[in-house]
Amino acid sequence: MSDGNGYYRDGMAQEAEPTGTSPLPREALAYADSLHNLARYLTGDATDAEDLVQETYARALQGAAQFRPGTNLKAWLFRILRNTFISLYRRQRKNPTVGGLDVVDQLANGSAEEGWFMNDIELDRLQRVVAEEIEAALLALAEDARTVILLDLEGLTETEVADVLGCPVGTVKSRLSRARAALRVRLKDYAR
Amino acid sequence: MECQEARPLLLDYQRGQLTPARHDEVRAHLERCARCAREEAAERALTNLVERNLPQYPAPLALKRRLAAHWPAPGVARHSWWSGWRRALAPAVALAAVLVAGVSLLDIERVIWRPSDAPGALVTEAVNDHLRLLQSEHPLEIESGGIHQVKPWFAGRLDFAPIVGFEGDADFPLRGGAVGYFLDRKAAVFVYSRRLHSVSLFVFRADGLPWPTRGLQRIGGVDASVKVARGFSVILWRSGELGYALVSDLGSRELVELASKF
Repeated sequence: MSDGNGYYRDGMAQEAEPTGTSPLPREALAYADSLHNLARYLTGDATDAEDLVQETYARALQGAAQFRPGTNLKAWLFRILRNTFISLYRRQRKNPTVGGLDVVDQLANGSAEEGWFMNDIELDRLQRVVAEEIEAALLALAEDARTVILLDLEGLTETEVADVLGCPVGTVKSRLSRARAALRVRLKDYAR
Repeated sequence: MECQEARPLLLDYQRGQLTPARHDEVRAHLERCARCAREEAAERALTNLVERNLPQYPAPLALKRRLAAHWPAPGVARHSWWSGWRRALAPAVALAAVLVAGVSLLDIERVIWRPSDAPGALVTEAVNDHLRLLQSEHPLEIESGGIHQVKPWFAGRLDFAPIVGFEGDADFPLRGGAVGYFLDRKAAVFVYSRRLHSVSLFVFRADGLPWPTRGLQRIGGVDASVKVARGFSVILWRSGELGYALVSDLGSRELVELASKF
């Protein structure tokens, strides 16, 4: 309606098969564990996590035509999962604010660093934090911090993480470092 | 090498992702800087802790079996398995959800949402997104000072530039905008009002979506699909690479009047 150059009509005329014809490779199912793990940490709930994974595969199949063979299927699925989570669950999500990626970059400041810097005793205790504690600490982080830590743990490259988060590649490193700093702040509560 | 330079490199250093020369520089710095050495140890401890102790939640076997059993075979019409499965499960899942979590009607709607309804899925998504916006405590991320404030606000927040030809007028003033999601992609949301009614316009990348091809109606310069769903009027159209969904509880006639202004 606004571009007025006729491109729109061309687009409609070419629309033979709106949902595309290429099926998603069955290999996609191999990522169910990784997807479910991220879903579990995003939703914090077993039932919601299963729903989210199902919905992710449904949307992936529906949008299979958008997947470009040769690109990273795992990263593509992660992106769908995260976007699905944001569109379906964000409204009802609990609202953690601590450790969001918008916090001031403490490393850059230097001065704020002592607040969470660990001495040797704390370091020693950190090594004995138990599973429930690290899980709770991770769940307390903002969604973007949680996601970037989990994607890094999955072994995704910075380019792939950027793809999932829809952010510039150049910001992934600093996002990860801020997320890890936020996690350490949280863990410090346990490491006493 | 100074601390400020070494700190951001610690993770890459531990993972062996630096060039040999750079790696040696960091190591040399760590040998003479106790604070950075402790920081490096703490980062290493964090990595170990997360890798060893963070509980992992692999997909339950039942879920994997369901996904595999219903995976479409090559050449078979896609999604039919999915909708059948969902239709069968939907009432039970919805009931369980209500019993367990006391969720809202909107969640039930989400559970029984059927992606196989092709163009219908776009209408459903548009209505759901409009409802989410209405329910949100802060629906507008930018209050309107006019289209010339709202449009530039989206720069850097989206991977496309939303093209919107209507800047609001006395009948349909522009109230503001927000970044939202439409199915699997980001959307620019423009909110107009009409008397006490709210009108949402979602603008998003149009590729790969099941756009309606039948029963289109000429509005303004484009062929649009006008639908009514759950008491909401929805108008869908495409222009170039962008898709548009206009949603409101206004009647279709008034919404078509607005759509013709774009």
